[in-house]
Amino acid sequence: MEEAGSPAHGRGGPAGLSGTPGDPAGLSAVRTETIETLTELEDLERVYAQLCAEEADVQRQLETLAGQQSNIETKMLVLQRMGPNLQLIEGDAEQLSGMINFTCSLAENVSSKVRQLDLTKQRLYQAIQRADDILDLKFCTDGVQTAMRNQDYEQAAAHIHRYLSLDQSVIELSRQGGESTAVDASLALLQEAELNLKALVTKRLEEAVATSDLPQVERFFKILPLLGLHEQGLAQFSQYLCSQLACKAEQNLLVASGSDVSERRAPVVYADTLTLLLEGIARIVETHQPIVETYYGPGHLYCLLTHLQRECDAQAQKVVDKFIQQRDYRNKFQVVQGSIMRVGPAEKIEPRELDPVLCEVTLMNSRAELYLRFLRRRIAADFEVIDAAAPESLVSEHQQSLERLLKDCQLSRTMQELIGFYIPMEEYYMRETVNKAVAMDTAEVGQLSSSMVDDVFYIVKKCISRALASGSSDCVCAMINHAISVLETDFREVLVCKLRAGYPASALHDLQRGVSSAVSLMQSSLQHGKIQTLGIESQEQAKSTYLVTLNNVEMCSENISTLKKNLESDCARLFSQGVGSEHAQAKIDSCLSDLVNTSSKFKDLLQEGLQDLNNTAIKPQVKPWITNFLSVSHNIEEGEFSEYEANDPWVQQLVVQLEQLMSEFKASLSPLIYDTLTSLMTSLIAMEMEKTVFKCTFSRLGGLQFDKELRSLVAYLSSVTSWTIRDKFARLTQMATILNLERVSEILDYWGPNSGPLTWRLTPAEVRQVLALRVDFRNEDIKRLRL
Amino acid sequence: IATMEDYDYLFKIVLVGNAGVGKTCLVRRFTQGLFPPGQGATIGVDFMIKTVEIKGMKVKLQIWDTAGQERFRSITQSYYRSANALILTYDITCEDSFRCLPEWLREIEQYANNQVVTILVGNKTDLAERREVPVRRAEEFAEAQSMLYLETSAKESDNVEKLFLDLACELIREAQQNTLDNTDRAPVPGEGKPISYLSCCSVN
Repeated sequence: MEEAGSPAHGRGGPAGLSGTPGDPAGLSAVRTETIETLTELEDLERVYAQLCAEEADVQRQLETLAGQQSNIETKMLVLQRMGPNLQLIEGDAEQLSGMINFTCSLAENVSSKVRQLDLTKQRLYQAIQRADDILDLKFCTDGVQTAMRNQDYEQAAAHIHRYLSLDQSVIELSRQGGESTAVDASLALLQEAELNLKALVTKRLEEAVATSDLPQVERFFKILPLLGLHEQGLAQFSQYLCSQLACKAEQNLLVASGSDVSERRAPVVYADTLTLLLEGIARIVETHQPIVETYYGPGHLYCLLTHLQRECDAQAQKVVDKFIQQRDYRNKFQVVQGSIMRVGPAEKIEPRELDPVLCEVTLMNSRAELYLRFLRRRIAADFEVIDAAAPESLVSEHQQSLERLLKDCQLSRTMQELIGFYIPMEEYYMRETVNKAVAMDTAEVGQLSSSMVDDVFYIVKKCISRALASGSSDCVCAMINHAISVLETDFREVLVCKLRAGYPASALHDLQRGVSSAVSLMQSSLQHGKIQTLGIESQEQAKSTYLVTLNNVEMCSENISTLKKNLESDCARLFSQGVGSEHAQAKIDSCLSDLVNTSSKFKDLLQEGLQDLNNTAIKPQVKPWITNFLSVSHNIEEGEFSEYEANDPWVQQLVVQLEQLMSEFKASLSPLIYDTLTSLMTSLIAMEMEKTVFKCTFSRLGGLQFDKELRSLVAYLSSVTSWTIRDKFARLTQMATILNLERVSEILDYWGPNSGPLTWRLTPAEVRQVLALRVDFRNEDIKRLRL
Repeated sequence: IATMEDYDYLFKIVLVGNAGVGKTCLVRRFTQGLFPPGQGATIGVDFMIKTVEIKGMKVKLQIWDTAGQERFRSITQSYYRSANALILTYDITCEDSFRCLPEWLREIEQYANNQVVTILVGNKTDLAERREVPVRRAEEFAEAQSMLYLETSAKESDNVEKLFLDLACELIREAQQNTLDNTDRAPVPGEGKPISYLSCCSVN
């Protein structure tokens, strides 16, 4: 800013000396007045020098200007010579302008003529069209009359169709024209012929329908759309089709009702009759859709099927009514309902009796679903052809009418009612048959589980599969819900009861354990609400029941997972196509996912059962065996140590006892459960051992002996379970390490920064406690330790 | 086993009540923000999912919208047992739908588990001028049955959000109470845990 502004300052400055050369204000930057005021020599000299420089500058400019003189003169000469040429150009330009004007008016002239020609041509065409139309009209008038006379209705209709497709405005125009009387006469004739033909054809079609004369029906059916009577044609045609349908259906139903019970298809005869009816309609669609499409155009199938559906509903209702009556369906339902509600007469229905009727109902529903899907596909495809060019509102209207037809038809409603009765009956069948399987439960010797698990899952699967066969997703969902309820409540309760009976401790062991524990056992049995009155044999029975039940519980949780997986793939296959299939699939998946919960409930029950078994059957036995450790002195010298080496005082017997104890379980529990039980036992042993060791005293060699004993025990236990037990014995192993030390201070080689990969599970206080178990370690040394 | 899905709680809510009281409209309004007029009766059972956030917890609501018509009763009944909550709906402009409530309660008594939370909903408050069931009467009825009571309008979107969110809060409260009880004492075999809440341990 300042730099840019500086010249301005300079010019306006008080010195007023710094003018730029060529300043327009004056020839010189130094004003005469300024010079006159100068008094100092220095100033004078400075101004003089400046003036001298200016003079030299002016001199230079003058010289430059003088040098340009010849150049300018040459240019002037050229300009003077150009003068005459310019006049020539002006003349030419005027001439050109005149020519363009002329051309323009000529062109406009020509094009207006072309326009006129065009208009004339158009009018000519219109005139020809009108003449044609009038000719057509005349031709039609004559033709209709002749055709009518000859009873050639097709021809007559074609003429009327031609007349109807004539431009009405043209006809109006003709009427206003000169030949109005002639045209009027023709028109009147045609209109009369149209009415006559409509009445005639309609009547003839009616007659043909009444006499079931298919060729005639088809003949007049094809004529009606030419007269613009689409709706009527379809209505009458479907009336014919319906009468055919009704006739066939009544025959079929009669045959069905009179059929022999011993026939192979007798149990599903009403489902078959319904199938025949629905297939009949499908066949009608197959056969007659082409005619409708050819003569009526696309988009008319809906109308035809709406008429047919009314007949279908009526006929299906008849079949269903007969089914309900003959199979005693409603009565069966009421008996079932009564026994579910536990009201009414104590009448009970044998579930096996329901089997055939349940199959038949699901078959009926699946046929109806199949048929409705067929209708949806066909009508939607037919609408699609005209929907492509139709406005949005019409498209959605089409969709809605289709939905209404399918949802609100009596067939749908009737089937929904049948399924509504079916579900409680199927549920009853499932519940009762499961109860029966439980009641008939048998455990074969050598089998891990008993018969009821397989039976129950067979029944559940059968019932859900039957529901699946109905093809109704809501029906499947309902049966999945009921199956979950049966498994989770009824059947689980059965297993819980068996487990609650408990695993009896054997009498032999009671004796071993002595009176005191027998008394406590008595008390505990009393608490369980039963007195130990079982003989040896029934005790064995109770034991095996308990173990079998454990296996059963495990199998249940596995079977439930398998059931879920199988049903998932079955449903995916069944509901993989059609409108709303995704929604149906989502619903089913959601219901199936509850089975995961059910499976884990059985897993929890298994854990509880095993825990109980561990507490009642293993703990009371193992505890004294471990306590025996106390009776073997570990405050020993060389001699005793060698003797222990020769005759193992404790661990080998323990291993034998454990082996004996577990052999029974190993034989009668599934490998997985046995493994879990062993793991529980291992934890128990580790815990008891720890308690026992703290009650002991050790010499240096005693510590070594304990280390040896612990190693054999861990080796044995590792060999019988697939679980890693190192972790469970970590604290004991560390105790053995401590008891094996030479000196108290040696612990520091393993502690803190020296622990290396070893993670201590013992607290410093516990380490001191263990060290104190060594008789040869001094208390002061232990106290002095810095841990 | 808790699945590692992205929610802390999953609840099943089942809507029941007479045909035409607006169950489907309530569900649509809540799940999609729509009020589709003139739609047909529900066929069987419809199913929607909406996940809401309550006090920082993701709560997945599985909403089962049942058909009110008699012939679907046996289908809808099968959903009661596993429901955590039931929304018993009637139409305040239809005395009849109110008079049927005891019948619905009998059904709930028979089929639902005993820990189910039931809420009574009077729908269609937008048609107040045609009201047939006074608020007082409904409130007294609900109180006598120890149910919560709420009036809604699916059309005007009145109280719809509140209905489902209040219900979710109540269910969370009960679920937390339940887990507290369960840690208090080990479940006795056979007694079982009637409702299993799929609570997720991961906090993301």
